Amino acid sequence: MRVLLVEDDPMIGDAVQGALKDASHAADWVRNGQTALTTLACQHYDLVLLDLGLPGKDGQDVLAALRAKGNAVPVLIITARDGLDERLRGLDGGADDYLLKPFEMAELLARMRAVLRRKGGSGTPLLGNGVLTLDPATRQASVLDGAPVQLSHREFSLLHALLIRPGTILSRSELEDRIYGWGEEVESNAVEYLIHALRRKLGSELIKNVRGVGWMVSRSV
Amino acid sequence: MDGVKERLNASVRRKLSLALTLVIALMALVAGALSFVAAYDEAQELQDDVLRQTARLVDARRLTVQPVPSDGHFKDHDDAARLIVQALGKANPGGLSVDDGGALPVPTQLADGLHTLTLQGEAFRVLVRTLATGERFVVAQEADFRDAMARDSAVRTVLPFVVLVPVLLLVVATLVRQLFRPISALAQGIDRRAEQDLHPIDERPVPSEVRPFVRAINRLLGRVAQDMESQRRFVADAAHELRSPLTALSLQAERLQQAPISAAAQERLAVLREGIQRGRLLLEQLLSMARAQQPSQAPAAPASVQGVLRHVLEDLMPLAHAKQIDLGVVGAPDVRVAVSPLDLHTLVKNLVDNAIRYSPVGGRVDVSVQAQAGGVVLCVQDTGPGIAPAERERVFDAFYRTVGTGQSGSGLGLSIVRAIALRIGARVSLDWSDEAAQRGLKVRVTIPLA
Repeated sequence: MRVLLVEDDPMIGDAVQGALKDASHAADWVRNGQTALTTLACQHYDLVLLDLGLPGKDGQDVLAALRAKGNAVPVLIITARDGLDERLRGLDGGADDYLLKPFEMAELLARMRAVLRRKGGSGTPLLGNGVLTLDPATRQASVLDGAPVQLSHREFSLLHALLIRPGTILSRSELEDRIYGWGEEVESNAVEYLIHALRRKLGSELIKNVRGVGWMVSRSV
Repeated sequence: MDGVKERLNASVRRKLSLALTLVIALMALVAGALSFVAAYDEAQELQDDVLRQTARLVDARRLTVQPVPSDGHFKDHDDAARLIVQALGKANPGGLSVDDGGALPVPTQLADGLHTLTLQGEAFRVLVRTLATGERFVVAQEADFRDAMARDSAVRTVLPFVVLVPVLLLVVATLVRQLFRPISALAQGIDRRAEQDLHPIDERPVPSEVRPFVRAINRLLGRVAQDMESQRRFVADAAHELRSPLTALSLQAERLQQAPISAAAQERLAVLREGIQRGRLLLEQLLSMARAQQPSQAPAAPASVQGVLRHVLEDLMPLAHAKQIDLGVVGAPDVRVAVSPLDLHTLVKNLVDNAIRYSPVGGRVDVSVQAQAGGVVLCVQDTGPGIAPAERERVFDAFYRTVGTGQSGSGLGLSIVRAIALRIGARVSLDWSDEAAQRGLKVRVTIPLA
């Protein structure tokens, strides 16, 4: 896809542009807000990576001008400013996500993918954390490139809950809420039983127990 | 003596009390003495008048001055109080002493008027008068008695002074103390302030004489607050500014890793990236510190301790897994504290991060929460080396590291914890987690209930 990078720092711009090219994206790089607006007026981009601290026209102003013109291109803000009001201003001003410097390139790429997925409305149905993938259509899970394993309804519900936001810890009662419908009687030890079953099918390392709190799967890697 | 002088110089109140006391005492002394003298003279004058009037009485009524029979009824009376009226120049019949009814041996050549004479070993006040007939007589009275009378009346005049002066001194001392009370209250108020509390002093209850001083202190407090704020902002700004170059460095290093370079270069690059990572950590901690030192704003809503704990564990689970540390929570009732979730998160995260960092591989970190009468007690225990009692105060200093741990933290973790604790009014105490073996750190944070 075609990405516009608006960044005034030459070292950061150079590294990000290079990394984007490595990831098979067409990346154009401009160094100030005015040029960014001019470029965006005559060229279609799939995504804009926007720095806030720009010389001349500030990133927030660029965003405002862009949205005022009715341009709905996805914008991901990259900035060193971590103030809450700054972040709220950016997101309320029409940004799709907000990434704080310093960041790892892998995270930037993942966030770009997430923004596009949301924006396109064609959110991929597959859930995963990089190691484990879950397909809600078939209720099949697979580890890395291994063969898909068929899960039961409840196994699927539990794993689905954990994979919606990998890295989040869910307590027993929260998991029970996810696997039992209204009015269904909760069996004692059901969560432990299901986790035991899932570990047998997918390997013991995937679902981690956090003593005294609950269970989690590792964050995306 | 020097000590007393110093104390007097140091205290306006004491000085004022002493000065007033001295002045009052001196005035009372002088006034008493003058009154005494005046009353004494007045009494003497009064008695001289009695002599004169008696003489005039004798003169006007043409009384003859006859010797009194020696068995006279005067005997019943106090000798000292009597008035003696006798003709001058008459021989003393019988040579009797005056006390036995004899005449006074007054010298005949004495001029008219008042005299004080010593006759028969006693002092007398004597008035000599010549009648129209050419006859001369004397009116006399014992001087001792007169003096006693005069003294008596003088003492009675001075008495109220003597009684009232101590009362007056007491009143002055109390009054002075009362007047200085707002000032001592002010001092106590300032003493009780928290370290970072730099809001201006209320000048309304202070006397107008002290107000300029209070205003000057307020101006100074304002300047100090401004100075502290600009320093804090400088740290925050500096850390912010460092973000961009650090981002550039880390991105470039990341790119380099993907470039075709030799295995040796890859190895060096890994070390370099680790260094950059440390820089990033330090930067975040510096910003965290700057935020923690900001004056507190009232929290929007009380934070759920359990919710915050869970988020901290989510953040730190990867670190714990990497070191195979059994990180867990022991009995955490869901209590709420009147602290902003961000502050609580930073505080707990720094404590748990430290615990993981200093625990050996395969160690154990326990977090527990208890609601007690005095507040919510949050406790983090690890199986690391712990901190010796002698070092427990110093570890809160920024960039202080205990020796021999080989850890490469930012050195700011506990400083941040302390800054936040100070801001939210919490108490932090350090102890061994295993008292018998003197190992492991146990940090207890007591957060007061709202």
